[in-house]
Amino acid sequence: MKIKIISVIILLLLFVNVFHAQSDHKNFDFNCSLCHECENPTKIDPCLKSCPRHEIITVHHTAQQGPKEIILNKFEGIEDIFEPVNFSHRAHSEMSSMAGGCEMCHHYNPPGSIKKCSDCHETNRMRTDLSKPDLKGAFHRQCIDCHSIWDNDVKCADCHAENATEGAQSATKESYAESYHQPVVEPGRIVYETEEMDGVVTFYHNDHVNVFGLQCNSCHKSESCARCHMENNVLADANRDLEEKHAVCSSCHDVDNDCESCHKEKIVEGFNHARSTGFNLNEYHGSVECEDCHKAGKGFKGLKSECSSCHKDWNSSNFDHSVTGLMLDEIHIENDCADCHTEGVYTSQNCENCHDPDIKYPDSKPGTLKKR
Amino acid sequence: MGSIKRRDFIKTVTAVGCTAAGLSAVTPKKLNATPENILSKDRYGVLVDTTVCIGCRRCEWACKKAHGIEAGSIDDYDDKSVFQEERRPAHDSYTVVNSYDVPNAEPVTVKVQCMHCDQPACVSACIVGAFSKKENGAVIWDESKCIGCRYCLVACPFQVPTFDYHKAIEPEIRKCDFCYERTSKGQLPACVEICPVEALTYGKRSDLLQIAHDRIHRNPDRYIDHILGETEVGGTSWMYLSKTEFSNYNFPKLGNSPAPGVSESIQHGIFAYFVPPIALYALLGGIMYLTKEKSTEEEK
Repeated sequence: MKIKIISVIILLLLFVNVFHAQSDHKNFDFNCSLCHECENPTKIDPCLKSCPRHEIITVHHTAQQGPKEIILNKFEGIEDIFEPVNFSHRAHSEMSSMAGGCEMCHHYNPPGSIKKCSDCHETNRMRTDLSKPDLKGAFHRQCIDCHSIWDNDVKCADCHAENATEGAQSATKESYAESYHQPVVEPGRIVYETEEMDGVVTFYHNDHVNVFGLQCNSCHKSESCARCHMENNVLADANRDLEEKHAVCSSCHDVDNDCESCHKEKIVEGFNHARSTGFNLNEYHGSVECEDCHKAGKGFKGLKSECSSCHKDWNSSNFDHSVTGLMLDEIHIENDCADCHTEGVYTSQNCENCHDPDIKYPDSKPGTLKKR
Repeated sequence: MGSIKRRDFIKTVTAVGCTAAGLSAVTPKKLNATPENILSKDRYGVLVDTTVCIGCRRCEWACKKAHGIEAGSIDDYDDKSVFQEERRPAHDSYTVVNSYDVPNAEPVTVKVQCMHCDQPACVSACIVGAFSKKENGAVIWDESKCIGCRYCLVACPFQVPTFDYHKAIEPEIRKCDFCYERTSKGQLPACVEICPVEALTYGKRSDLLQIAHDRIHRNPDRYIDHILGETEVGGTSWMYLSKTEFSNYNFPKLGNSPAPGVSESIQHGIFAYFVPPIALYALLGGIMYLTKEKSTEEEK
């Protein structure tokens, strides 16, 4: 009897275990074998595979929602040479969207809350599971990986203060509790000399941000921190191959077929819709997204300037003529558009359909002018 | 014994002795490098990942401190100008970090110290048994036994042991001792403990091998498929991972057979089972026997 009861309890526990795991994973669209080595992982023995596993990052939030500062003080050596590091988490995370995202550091996060580094990386170097580095090793590898690129001579004191040093002026002593990444100075015009073709490419960075509304990470997806932070920037664009150089433009521009749009003989003025295309974007069209009119996508081919080429469903009953600055009077408001605007041209008016030839616009008006 | 004639006994012993000597000379499988010849399954080792090492030289500082050598200030070790010349372990520095230029990549920094061979040539070469391979994998040196012959310097395939030439009285053989004192107390070797990036992983040799193979398997772009020390000279306790060939870092190109294999099998083969004196007596006996027969015939 006892045996029966015990076996029932064990079965129940197993069931609860499986159920629990599944409830944890219910919104999880991955194959079990992505993370688990064995067929039946349990809470006690999850038989996890080795990191990193970027695919399963489950918690996403903005840099502002993460902690501002983390003090890395989990180590107690026999002889503490250095003080703990105050890590400016927010300043780092603010820039991470341009260089691989949060998962650059948080390379593993199963369902639930955000894992601390120390949840996986042991603080004790003398340990049984040697498959992943201990916490100290993991921290140093993570930091030095980037920091050593822009400064070949990274010193301990760049991040740590030496212990018991009175008034040590190093990064450690600073508090990052209110620190943000300092504002990035956006470049205006950049002129690229091109080796493969004669002439230059004039790139207006400010227009792409302010006029076209691109976000930093629309283009800067996998930047290296060193690209900005290195004193003598050797990672210049010259080191990139042709494909890499074009890749960043290719999401909007047709780089395969349309070379002339960007490659010009001389430095050119920035893009101005009125000057470049002859179609002045007034206050109505100015606030419209490019893609709303240029629906073909890449290349931004010219469109017909007639209103009806885009506004196909407008007619006298649903168009508020007063937005043009002319409020039609009671008689004219009944007319069809084409009665006055012949041949589909809405910038000219023809009164001859109804009136004598001596009645002309704008001497005679079909309504009253109003301030727009 | 009474029923066996003296001559027959000598014949038998000679035959057995010769066979034994011959056999052991051609089959150098079991080596008796030391009286304490313990090659424990659980022996420890260190996996050096040269792709992780940042060349901070903190291991050099920690090593000196742990061995009572004048170490100086830790800040002095930030000096990267020492990388301009290749350095070797010396009487006052049991481990050194060198930097090597490799084609199309960043320079690689590589730590050098005793490899703590599983079949140590120094142990084999030492005529007074001052060297021994310990159960935990360390190859250590006993100053009370050493007579200063420096055979170990010659024998070592990695050219690690150094001689204290600066001391006139009682000079010592100096080399990395795998921090035998510290590990006996359950501490980590000093260099492993201080390494900021854990480029040095301390653990059971069998575990380290598994980890090393796993790293290579998961990062084929990061590592070449070779663990230096897995099989070289019969295996070593310290093992290395690398992105490029080890010959770039001036590691000697070594075969897989144990370094003391040849010399030891000859020496131990000949001297085993009291063979040389027995063979000598057998030869003399043979000559006597033949000459005696001759002289009896002549007398007739």
